[in-house]
Amino acid sequence: MTEPEVKPEVMRISWGPQHPMSGQTRILIDVDGEVVRRIIADIGFTHRGIEKILEKRTFIQGIVPIERMVMADTANIALGYVQAVEEALGIEVPERAKWIRSLICEMGRINSHLYAFGLQVECTGYFPAVFLWTTVDREVLLDLFEKLTGARWSYSFFIPGGVRADLPEGFRDEVKRAVKYLRRRFQDYWDAMVENPLFEMRNRGVGILSREDAIRLGATGPVLRGSGVDMDVRRDEPYAAYGDLDFKVITEKEGDCLARLKVRFHEIEQSLNIMEQIADEIPGGPVRTKVPLFPRSKPGVEALSRVETARGELGVHIFTDGGMKPYRVKINSPTLRNMYVFERLAELDKVLVADLPVILYSIDPWYLDCDR
Amino acid sequence: MDVVTLIWLYILSLVRWLLHEAPLQVINFIKSLPTLIPELLKWLWDFIWFNFKPLAQIIVIPGLAFILLFAMIAVWFERKFLARAMLRIGPYYCGKRSGWLQVIADFLKLFFKEFVIPDDVEKALFLAAPVLLPTIPALAITLIPFDSNWVLFDAGGLSLPVFLAIAGLAPVIPIFAGWAANNKYTIIGSFRTAYLYVSGEIPLVICAAATALLAGSLDLVDIVEAQRPLWFAIPQFIGFLVFFVGLILEAERTPFDVPTAETELVIGWRTEFSGVLFGFTMMAEYVSFLGWTLLFIVLYLGGYLGPSLLGVPLYDHIFWMLLKLAVIVVIVVLIRTVYPRLRLDQTLRLGWNYLMPLALLNLFITIILKWGLMI
Repeated sequence: MTEPEVKPEVMRISWGPQHPMSGQTRILIDVDGEVVRRIIADIGFTHRGIEKILEKRTFIQGIVPIERMVMADTANIALGYVQAVEEALGIEVPERAKWIRSLICEMGRINSHLYAFGLQVECTGYFPAVFLWTTVDREVLLDLFEKLTGARWSYSFFIPGGVRADLPEGFRDEVKRAVKYLRRRFQDYWDAMVENPLFEMRNRGVGILSREDAIRLGATGPVLRGSGVDMDVRRDEPYAAYGDLDFKVITEKEGDCLARLKVRFHEIEQSLNIMEQIADEIPGGPVRTKVPLFPRSKPGVEALSRVETARGELGVHIFTDGGMKPYRVKINSPTLRNMYVFERLAELDKVLVADLPVILYSIDPWYLDCDR
Repeated sequence: MDVVTLIWLYILSLVRWLLHEAPLQVINFIKSLPTLIPELLKWLWDFIWFNFKPLAQIIVIPGLAFILLFAMIAVWFERKFLARAMLRIGPYYCGKRSGWLQVIADFLKLFFKEFVIPDDVEKALFLAAPVLLPTIPALAITLIPFDSNWVLFDAGGLSLPVFLAIAGLAPVIPIFAGWAANNKYTIIGSFRTAYLYVSGEIPLVICAAATALLAGSLDLVDIVEAQRPLWFAIPQFIGFLVFFVGLILEAERTPFDVPTAETELVIGWRTEFSGVLFGFTMMAEYVSFLGWTLLFIVLYLGGYLGPSLLGVPLYDHIFWMLLKLAVIVVIVVLIRTVYPRLRLDQTLRLGWNYLMPLALLNLFITIILKWGLMI
């Protein structure tokens, strides 16, 4: 990245990668005393060439590298790719597999939102109590993942044509128990965070993104819905089993960090509802259609899949040239879009140095997702 | 005689003394040793016997041992307690599950670690700051009465203003340290310190003045004695609350740990310190906290006075002081578990918009109270 020139009245601080709160990214900030005048995110700092890697893998081998984009939310990311592959190859998916996919996607969404919660609370200077609570509580979900898929993280469970395995014995009851437990725990989070006056002081009115700006700058996911835009791919273009499920799209009007947090909070509640519905109403049948190990595509097919990940809308665009590998995979990742919004926030609203980590983690960045 | 001859004579006499006199003197000295050693021991014993109390005060309370022990226990308690809040166990392996040896282990580790002095720092200030940081609050602690005649440093009836003056020096050091380290994070952190102390210390001084007014004396012992009928926490309830908030602010504890905000400024003005220098800055935080808490106890919670049982006051003892200290430490650590950090502007707004007017109101009420009592 070529660094823009520093104006004489500001001081440029390299905020990361060696900073307690930055994560593996590099952000330059120009500060004038306590006020941040400019944010320059070094997009591409952790570039790993995932799109290029996917061109060198067969369609099924590509599932593993694409899951490495967002480890906390592998299900949704992998679903985006798998759906695109299915569309490109013309594979039908059985109904039960779709429902299982939705179940795992919602569990992944809760997992990811819990992580986002904890980080946003921690960067307000909370001693990381809530972060560890969320880390402990996601164990419930990880155990379910382990039981179903055999792995706690990056389970590579979705394959073109369905899912790898059917639900094990008694799994539906365990899902219901987990939902019950998590509902009880979320009341604690609500009391500890949102009802906490000092936490509210740190988050309310911070990093305000108006509805117009959110649309203009192309925000997505909870950032967009936190600014009052009612948009969710799960409802607008139903995929998997979302067409048959009953859930609400959460929006908040304020557009500040607290609104984004509340959106995530209520989305978790909706996800829990969806999990319960799926556990109750999942149809029977096979979970997988037979697909050859190295499926060969027709030349010149173009497939686009949109999914709503925890961070926002993910688009996977696949071109084929008739080989066993995709010709080109273009990924439109949610964090990239939200990072552009984050960069502009210093111009839209007065941002203090102390607000910077709060705003950054309110957009829930995942830098590997951003840089791919 | 010229100078050269004189020098030669001097050297000759020296040689003669060495050959003839010196061995004799050494032999005499060795002969007298059996009588000399008991005399020396007796002198030492007398010195200790007659200066027992001041010595004990310097070494034990409120001296180095007390401060180190307090820092150790407070750090241990804080780590264990916070770990409980975070669903962890905390220090576990050093010292039979309670983990009490972990603090000592950490300190030893910090002590023997290589410390890095960056190239561009102002070396003298950079090295002096971590040493001065715990020293200044420790100096202020010598003024605190732990009993009616247990005051290490007699300030001649002016111990309250002297305490405030010494403690008021403390914030200068972080400002210098942050500037000397020549780092962007430290400079922001040290300016935050300056803002914070200005907004926090003035309400504290006004509250302290109100208690002195009520007691009619600037001496801390007199202020404690004046609380014999009633602790000042009750007639000065506003001042009590303001002082408590101000004390957390002065000690840079959560929710006011703005200058060392980890998520924003790495660790503020301490960023460049490493090894034992960092250890001293950590200790300084607890020493300063100890100093202000002791003053708080003396001014509002009756210092060494025990609670009175059915009108009969219990035995005044240093024990009460330590008990009150422990209670306040628990409350302050509890605050850390439940509150996030405030922003700098919010902290300043709290200081100027709420603490300052309340402190003035408290002073005003005290003046009226005192005036009414005099009539």
